[in-house]
Amino acid sequence: MAHDPNRAPRHLGADLVIPILAVVFTLYFFSTIWNSPWTAQVSAFSIGGVLLFICLLFFIKVTGQLRRGEGRLTFTSLVNFEDIRSGRVALIGTTIGFCVLIDTLGFTLTTFLFLWLSMAILGAFKRLGRVTITSAILAFGGWAVFILAFETRFPRGWFEQTMQTVLSNG
Amino acid sequence: MGETASLLATVFLETISFWWVIIPTIFLGLIVGGIPGFSAANTIIILMPLTLAMDLQTGLIFMVSLYCAARMGAGIPAILVNIPGTAGAAATPLDGYPMTKQGRGQQALAISFVASSLGGLLTTMIALAAMPILARVGFYMHSVEMIVVMLFGISLIASIAAQDMLKGLIAGFSGLMLGAIGTDVVYATPRGTMGFLELYDGVPLIPALVGLFAVSEAFIIIEKRVILTKQGQKAMENPSWAATFEGVKDALSRWTHIGWTSVIGLVIGVIPGAGASIASFVAYQQSRTFSKTPEKYGTGHIEGLVAPESANNGVTSGTLVPLLVLGIPGGATAAIMLVVMQYHGVSFGPSLFQQEPEVGYGMFMAMAVSYLLMILTIIPLSRYMSRVTTVPTIYLAPMIISFTLVGAFVPREYMFDMYLALAFGVIGYIARRTGYHVAAILIGVILGPLLETYFLRALKKSEGDMMVLFSSTLGNILWVALVVSLVLPAVLDWRRKKRELLSS
Repeated sequence: MAHDPNRAPRHLGADLVIPILAVVFTLYFFSTIWNSPWTAQVSAFSIGGVLLFICLLFFIKVTGQLRRGEGRLTFTSLVNFEDIRSGRVALIGTTIGFCVLIDTLGFTLTTFLFLWLSMAILGAFKRLGRVTITSAILAFGGWAVFILAFETRFPRGWFEQTMQTVLSNG
Repeated sequence: MGETASLLATVFLETISFWWVIIPTIFLGLIVGGIPGFSAANTIIILMPLTLAMDLQTGLIFMVSLYCAARMGAGIPAILVNIPGTAGAAATPLDGYPMTKQGRGQQALAISFVASSLGGLLTTMIALAAMPILARVGFYMHSVEMIVVMLFGISLIASIAAQDMLKGLIAGFSGLMLGAIGTDVVYATPRGTMGFLELYDGVPLIPALVGLFAVSEAFIIIEKRVILTKQGQKAMENPSWAATFEGVKDALSRWTHIGWTSVIGLVIGVIPGAGASIASFVAYQQSRTFSKTPEKYGTGHIEGLVAPESANNGVTSGTLVPLLVLGIPGGATAAIMLVVMQYHGVSFGPSLFQQEPEVGYGMFMAMAVSYLLMILTIIPLSRYMSRVTTVPTIYLAPMIISFTLVGAFVPREYMFDMYLALAFGVIGYIARRTGYHVAAILIGVILGPLLETYFLRALKKSEGDMMVLFSSTLGNILWVALVVSLVLPAVLDWRRKKRELLSS
């Protein structure tokens, strides 16, 4: 097929991330079963073998596209300045913080902090009053429904323990 | 015959008198089904003391209604925000979410509710009538036949990969490799676990579902102010009942489609261990195969929404058949029902329908009545539910992340599962941004361990002879059906293009 010079080149570097991760993981997987009984190997070797073959075909295809000038080894479709501007990078940061803190602070407080900070960042720190009220309603509502009503074993912290003491004492 | 009909009529009237239990349970089921991690099974476990305290009839009606409603509820977030509530609804967003983005969320919800209710109702009737025959399906499905059923599910990868075959296959086989993580089924050798004890049981499905669909979607949707397209926003400015009725009409006009795809769900539901996720993907794939417009699938095509929704509700009645006739639960919820029924001293097997027919028939009647009441109570809500799509993403994205990540924690109560969901979220985000379909990865994760189990069983039986895969008559019939379903779309597509070429 003839290459259209007016068409924007594709970001082939980003397209390679998933196949490279797949190859690395498959080779790691093979290393963990190399000395195992055949029952542990047969299915993984069959599936992994097919996956490596498909990835090889994909690498050949990408090499061809690079040689024809249809794409570049760039990652712009995956990571770009827009990710910082839109707050996506910050959202990933607050999400990691949510996972780390929830075990210590408990569901309600961590959810409130996460919602407030994420909404504030995504909203460029405007309408903070609305953000605070929304975060508080959602976090408190989540506590009332999941912990109080359904007694789901969400991570508990200071707030949950205090409320339990308050409620059990009438 | 006359005696059975009169018994069925009595049981029906008696069940409908429990409307005061069924209607609140329907709403509870819709909520728990819609939140990843809060499946019907988990909710029934949480409410087990309450269920055991009720009399048997009330307890069973409560559990059955919750089961049906949760199955339907799982489709609501799948359609509105591209996040399936359970793995059984993972095929629903393929066409449901594009409809929402086009501003047809209200129609999509109405279609889903009608397809789910009619599919569930129809398969309940079929299960009731053909119970002795259906119960035997489980006996005929050995490891070889199950391998072919799994391959039917995997063949959806090919459908999804229609745009870029290599990317689709890489996504699907990567999912299968991830699904192989954990100890092997014979010697318990840990494989690919990266040293995490939490992965010895394999990759848990809920964190994978939450990460691939919910977390990655939240990272994507913040690019826009709302998730709707401009055309969608215009359509949602003046929501009307007409859109709901349009959805109901669209679904009803496809009643044959609802019929045969729900039967796929029923048959797969009868096979213990197969489940709604496989049924919905198989139904979607078959619907696309036999469609005159397969190219429309994935773009907001009504039949692409009808097929998985009616199939996963067909599974609900299917799972009751082996439970009641053989005492073998077809899934987690059915297993909990078994415990409750045993607590009340109910015996299983053919004797159940002779000694306590009101219990056996009563469960199917509870299902039928629940579906009937669901049609009446839920469809009017689609107009209000679809308003979720107008919530600005700066509020929606953090809400999705926080509540679904905690949902990933609930089933096993490991903090590790939240991190795992986050890792799957990052994989899902990369996949979405670079054109690899997250549904194909999820199919792999679901089917990987099942396929390996049946594959090993078959090889063990034949002492390593691969020809065992073609050793049974039913298996060979299924192999032919599989090949036909893969080849047929290509042939039909080739013929259509040839005709278009000739006419132009």
